[in-house]
Amino acid sequence: MSENYYINESTEIYDAIVIGSGISGGWAAKDLCEKGQKTLMIERGRVVEHRKDYIGENTPPWQQDYRTKVDNLLVEEKYKIQQQCYAFADATKHFFGNDKDLPYTTKSGTDFSWIRANQLGGKSLLWHRQSYRLSDYDFNANKLDGYGNDWPIRTKDIENWYSHVERHAGISGTNDNLPNLPNSEFLPPFEMSSPEKMLKAKFAELFPERPLIMGRTAHLTQPTKLHLEQGRVQCQARNECQAGCSFGGYFSTQSSTLPAAAKTGNLHIAPNSVVHSLIYDEQSNRVKGVRVIDNNDLSEREYFARVVFVCASTIGSTQILMNSKSNKFPNGIANSSGVLGHYLMDHNYNAGASGTVAGFEDEIDYGRRPTGLIIPNFYYQPDGKRNFLRGYALAGGASREGWQSLQHQDGLGIDYKNKLKQAGKWKFGLYAQGEMLPRFENQMRLHPTLKDKWGIPQVEFDCRFSDNETNMMIDAAEQAEKMLKSAGLTDVHSSVSHGPPGLAIHELGTARMGRDAKTSVLNGYNQSHDIPNLFVTDGASFCSSAVQNPSLTFMALTARAVDYAVKELKSKRI
Amino acid sequence: MSNDVQKSKRYFLKGLSTIIGGVAASSLLRGNGLAVAMAYSTNTNDKTAITKVFSKSQLAILKQVCAIVIPKTETLGAAEVDTHGFIDNQLFHCFSKSAQQKAVSLLTLIDKQAQQSHSSTFVALSDEQQFQLLTALDLGKIPFGQTQRTDFKKLKKLICFGYYTSEVGASQELRYVAVPGGYKGSIPYKSGDAAWGSKGLSY
Repeated sequence: MSENYYINESTEIYDAIVIGSGISGGWAAKDLCEKGQKTLMIERGRVVEHRKDYIGENTPPWQQDYRTKVDNLLVEEKYKIQQQCYAFADATKHFFGNDKDLPYTTKSGTDFSWIRANQLGGKSLLWHRQSYRLSDYDFNANKLDGYGNDWPIRTKDIENWYSHVERHAGISGTNDNLPNLPNSEFLPPFEMSSPEKMLKAKFAELFPERPLIMGRTAHLTQPTKLHLEQGRVQCQARNECQAGCSFGGYFSTQSSTLPAAAKTGNLHIAPNSVVHSLIYDEQSNRVKGVRVIDNNDLSEREYFARVVFVCASTIGSTQILMNSKSNKFPNGIANSSGVLGHYLMDHNYNAGASGTVAGFEDEIDYGRRPTGLIIPNFYYQPDGKRNFLRGYALAGGASREGWQSLQHQDGLGIDYKNKLKQAGKWKFGLYAQGEMLPRFENQMRLHPTLKDKWGIPQVEFDCRFSDNETNMMIDAAEQAEKMLKSAGLTDVHSSVSHGPPGLAIHELGTARMGRDAKTSVLNGYNQSHDIPNLFVTDGASFCSSAVQNPSLTFMALTARAVDYAVKELKSKRI
Repeated sequence: MSNDVQKSKRYFLKGLSTIIGGVAASSLLRGNGLAVAMAYSTNTNDKTAITKVFSKSQLAILKQVCAIVIPKTETLGAAEVDTHGFIDNQLFHCFSKSAQQKAVSLLTLIDKQAQQSHSSTFVALSDEQQFQLLTALDLGKIPFGQTQRTDFKKLKKLICFGYYTSEVGASQELRYVAVPGGYKGSIPYKSGDAAWGSKGLSY
C-alpha cells in the first residue's frame, strides 16, 4: 500500500470529507472512493499501519513484561478507565486512548465508561467482530411500545446494503432462517464442539423457540477471491485479534476497507487531525469543511469538501456537531430539533449463568475460536406479561477447564501439578446482551467550562440503566439458569451485576434518524434534515439499540448513505 | 534477543509462509520482529538477583514454596524457571501495596512456623517437612487459620500464573500452539494428555 496518501496542509476542495477511520469511516471512504469521489479521511490519532504497527501481535506471555498484565503505574497514569475493557491487555494497550488526554465528566449520581480508540482504524482494530443484521422486529420496536421514535427504514431498505458490506467484509455463520435474525451472506461457520452440539440439540427439544446457533463473526473461515485481493487470508484461530492480525483474518479498516479505498487513487488521509467543529455557511446552508486542531502541536488548520460524512463514533460525532455553533444553530449544528445528544444507549451485559457439562472427556477442541455461540433474542415479540419491554440475546460457549480454574483446588506437589496439566471438565455458560430503551433523559452534552487539551469542550454524560434494563437482567439470569439446569448441567450458578453503561462499547443514539425533522437529526439516509450535505452514519444515528451487536449495521447504513449522497451530488441537489 | 523470541517468531513465520508465501511473510515480520520483548528475564543466579518486594531471605523461602507447589517432574518445576523472581517482579508492578505486604507477611509466617515446629528455618527443613507445613497452610489446618489459607491460595495463584505463562510451563508442561491455522470443534483427548498452554490468556 502506498503511503503517499497522507497529507497535512491542503487547500484542495475535496469531493468528500470523512471524519473518522473506524468501521463507519472506513466504509464511507471506501465506497466514496470507489464511486470516483476525491475523498479526505480525517483521523484524530496516529497512523497505524497494517502489520507493521501490530507491536503486540504473536507475542507469547513469557515474552511480555508482565505476562499479559499491564503495569499498575501505567494504568494509573493513562488507562484507569480504558483498563475496564475486556480487551485491554499488554498486547493491545497501545490501541486504547490515553485517559489523561481524553477527560470527560459524568453527572453526579451517574456513571459512564467511555472506551476510546483514537488511531487510524479506530475501534475496528479492537472490536469483538460479532456481526448481525437487524430484523423488522427491531425496526418496529419503538413504534410498538412508544419508546423512542420510529426507525425511518425497514429491512427492505437496507438488506441489499447488508449483502454489499458482508461480501466485502467476510462474515462467517450459518443460514439459520430465523424471523428475528435475518441470514447474512455467509462464509462457512466455525465448528461447534461436541458439548455445544449436544446442547444445541437439547435446547431445540426443550426450548424450540430459543435456538442455539454459531456466532456470526467477521472472520475469514474461507476467504473468497475478493478477500484475497484485499491481501487477507484465512483466520488462523489465534483469537488474539485485538493485538492486530497480520493475516487480515478479521475485518478491520486496515485489513479491508483501507486497501480497497487506497487502490482507487482517490483517497487521502489527514492523520493527527482532531476535528474541532464543522465550518458552516449560512447563506448556502451547507457545511464547507472542518476546523482541525493538530493532535501534537495544537496548531489549527482547515479542510474543505462538497459533502461531509461524520463517522467519528457515536459520542465523538455528536461532540463535533454540538461544538459546531453558529447564529442559525446556537445549540449545535443540525440541531433544529433539539434532540441532539439525547436518547443515548448502550447494551446491558450484566447477567449470566454457567455450569458443568458431564462427559465428553475423550475429546477437546483445537485452536482458539474467535467467536462463541448465541441464542438470539427470544422476546422479539412484545408480551405484556413480562415486567420489562424488549429483550436480550444469550451469548455463550463451551470449553474444558484449564489451569486457570483447576488451580483453585487444594493440593501441592506432583499430584497437583499433574491435575493442572490435564484438561478438566467441560464448562458451558450463557451471558446476556440486553437491549437498552431509548430515553430522552439519557444524554450527553458539552460541559459549560471544562475543555480538553485541544480546547474542545469536554463531554458530560448523564445516562443510567432504568428499571426496565435491571428487570431484564434479572430475567436473563433466571432463564439462563433454568435452561442450563433443564439441559442437565450441574453446578449451575447465575449472577446479575450492576456495571454502568458504556462497557458493552455499543454507544448508540444521540443524533437519531427519523422521518420528522422536528424530532430527529437525520433522515432515512443518515442525511441531516437541516443541512443537505451533512451525513452522520455511525452509531449516533440509531433510533433503538436492538439486541444485536451494531457494527454490521454501521457498515450497511454507511454504504447506503454514500450511495445516496453520491447520487444527490451528481444530480446537484447537494 | 532470547532463543524464546526467535523460536516463537519462527513458528509464526512458518505459519505465515505456508499461507501467504515466504517473501511476504518475512517482510511482514520486519515491523514487529523488531519489537524485542522487554519481558521479565529469568535470573539464574539468585545471589545476584535484585529484588523489589521481598528480601533475599524471603525470596529464598518463596523459591522453596514454588518448588513444593509445582515441583520438577519430567518437566522443570516452578523454582527452576524462576517463578519466585517473577512473582517478586509481578507483585511490584501489577499488584497493590497491600497485596505485596500480605505476601511478605505470609512468607514470614511460614518461616516462623518452621521455627516453632522444628526449630529450623523453612528452607532448612526436609522436603517432607516443607510439604507437610504447606499442606496444613493450604487446608487451613492447625496451626493455620482460614485467613492465612486464603492468603496462601493467592500466592499459589501467582505461582500457577508465573509457571504456566513461562515458556516451560506453557509450551513444555502444556501444549502451546502459536498459530493453530484453524479451529476444530473436537480432537481426541486421553487422560494424561497435556492441555493447551495457549488458551485462556488475555490478549
